Amino acid sequence: MSIIEAKGIYKTYQETKIPVNALNGVDLKIEEGEFTAIVGPSGSGKTTLLNILGGLDLPTEGDIFIEGTNLKQLSSRQLIDFRLHNIGFVFQAYNLIPVLTARENTEFILELQKVPKKERRKQATQLLEAVGIADKADHRPGQLSGGQQQRVAVARALASQPRFIIADEPTANLDSKSTNELLEIMAEMNRKYRSTFIFATHDQRVMDKARRIVTIDDGKIIGDETFEGR
Amino acid sequence: MKTLLKIAWRNLWRNRRRTILTAAAVILALSLALFMRSMQFGWYEQMIRAGVSQSGHMQVHDTGYQANQSIDRAFFYREETGEALHSLKEVKSVLPELQTFSLASYKKQTKGVLIAGIDAKRYDKQNNLSGKIIQGHYLSGSDDVLLGDKLAQFLKMKVGDTLVLLGQGYRGITSYGIYRVAGIFHLPSIEMNSGVVYMNLKTAQDFAYPYQPGLLTSLTVFLKDPGDLFTVKKEIEQKLGPAYEVITWKTMLSDMLQTIKVDNISGQIMLLILYIIAAFGIFSTVLMMTMEKRKQYAVMVSIGMERRKLVWVSIFETFIISLTGILIGLLLASPLVFYLHAHPIPITGEMAKMYLQFNIAPVLPFSVKTHVFLSQVVIVFSLSLMSALYPVIYLSRFNILNAFRH
Ligand SMILES: Nc1ncnc2c1ncn2[C@@H]1O[C@H](COP(=O)(O)OP(=O)(O)O)[C@@H](O)[C@H]1O
Ligand SMILES: [Mg+2]
Repeated sequence: MSIIEAKGIYKTYQETKIPVNALNGVDLKIEEGEFTAIVGPSGSGKTTLLNILGGLDLPTEGDIFIEGTNLKQLSSRQLIDFRLHNIGFVFQAYNLIPVLTARENTEFILELQKVPKKERRKQATQLLEAVGIADKADHRPGQLSGGQQQRVAVARALASQPRFIIADEPTANLDSKSTNELLEIMAEMNRKYRSTFIFATHDQRVMDKARRIVTIDDGKIIGDETFEGR
Repeated sequence: MKTLLKIAWRNLWRNRRRTILTAAAVILALSLALFMRSMQFGWYEQMIRAGVSQSGHMQVHDTGYQANQSIDRAFFYREETGEALHSLKEVKSVLPELQTFSLASYKKQTKGVLIAGIDAKRYDKQNNLSGKIIQGHYLSGSDDVLLGDKLAQFLKMKVGDTLVLLGQGYRGITSYGIYRVAGIFHLPSIEMNSGVVYMNLKTAQDFAYPYQPGLLTSLTVFLKDPGDLFTVKKEIEQKLGPAYEVITWKTMLSDMLQTIKVDNISGQIMLLILYIIAAFGIFSTVLMMTMEKRKQYAVMVSIGMERRKLVWVSIFETFIISLTGILIGLLLASPLVFYLHAHPIPITGEMAKMYLQFNIAPVLPFSVKTHVFLSQVVIVFSLSLMSALYPVIYLSRFNILNAFRH
């Protein structure tokens, strides 16, 4: 079974005067261990699609299954709990709680999952080591660079041991050095732990690393290529 | 929970200046309110104390006397009645009194007066009337009377002169008597100084009805603890039966209580204004704290944090500010209030005269009753609860995707 299966997804935003058709019939399957980029010009529907895949929003039409669970059938509370245990998130910004240290931020999601304190501490430390900022564990986000903050966000996303991780333009605010480092870390996590990553990006450097590139335009998938050996 | 509290605490700490400013608004409102209320209640308590020292906590009359205070509603004292009152452990003292109206004349001057026949010793112990004598001495002989300075002035009398009293006694008899002015008193109340003649109870009884001893218009009861008012009233009523009425100071001083009530409302309006300012301070701060972090909060909900937990952060923030404000406000205002309780501010000028008319010492003691403090604390606390309401509603409803976009 695929981790994600999206079938006939349409999304229309009704909030504005003129309804916006952000997605117009998307079918997509994501398998375990993928390292996939969803690319397309600004306004093409990448964020909308990721939000739906991540259970942050529901499609107007169509169904989205995550390992067989139809997200449409969950209440909003169940959905929050579902996300907590199944989906990791790395956003473009505002990822971390500014008053908590890198370690506390990482531990926070484990606390939400009710992992015992000792275990939390251990896992958080390990993950911060894995993303290469163990030495900054007791720094608050404000004392970290943008790239370091994103690495903490990746550590936190991994901490919850999700089925897959969604990252919407995670490198948009980063310089090329930090971008490379972040991509390298995510790629390594993907190789080591078979963590599944799905990005939305229009950053060429991210596309270069992706093993699968799904191209979207005007709310439709217009291309889907796989690059073995990356 | 601990982490949520930690987040709230650090959020406040992170924006120290704003937090301090908000807490300062709470401190200011609380201490001003406390000061004001303590002053007001102190004044009320003082008025009531002065009133009660005259009226007693309650009085026992012949039924109907309160409505129609005439000598015809007097009653004869009986041992059982006295026993019934004295046997109650809550009762501190009982003062018998006979009051009746009469004309007082000296040479060419005549004036209507109230004769108050009192148990000289016990009355003095309660009211220290002997301390108010400015000329002559206190009641001793059976034809002694005491006049107020205003009345003496009107009648052009001095100590040792002979006063003639003429009036209607009990059961329509004509009463008259000749008395010696033993002393002249000066009380704070002008009314009393110009219209009351004190004499021994026995003398007054002989004046009003010489044919049977023991005529009284009231038995004034003082309690050890004013809080027992209504239980004691009930007990006395039960013991004495329907021939007697028991009137509490709350009825006797109802005019004063009405004045207090009106004044209290004006005080409450002032408080309302103060508290709106404080509540608005807390409200806007907590709202800002919530709104400026809505993107972070949207991330938190996205990764799987229940909204309930965000709500707790907001509530903690509110409570930390308001509790700090309350504590510091109490710490600042209480010493002053307690000081002014122990050392009341003296009042001078016209105000002082008004006080004296009501037979109240012209000072402003502050109240330190628990309810004064407690009510302010409870109000500030509930106001802060209410200020947290909007953020709480926002956090439990906000659309995370919209929060990301704006
Ligand atoms: N909440 C919304 N209300 C109305 N229109 C929206 C909303 N979110 C996105 N859109 C519109 O939907 C389209 C797709 O947006 P989005 O998914 O954000 O694209 P991308 O992430 O590829 O830039 C755009 O035209 C955008 O303006
Ligand atoms: Mg986007």
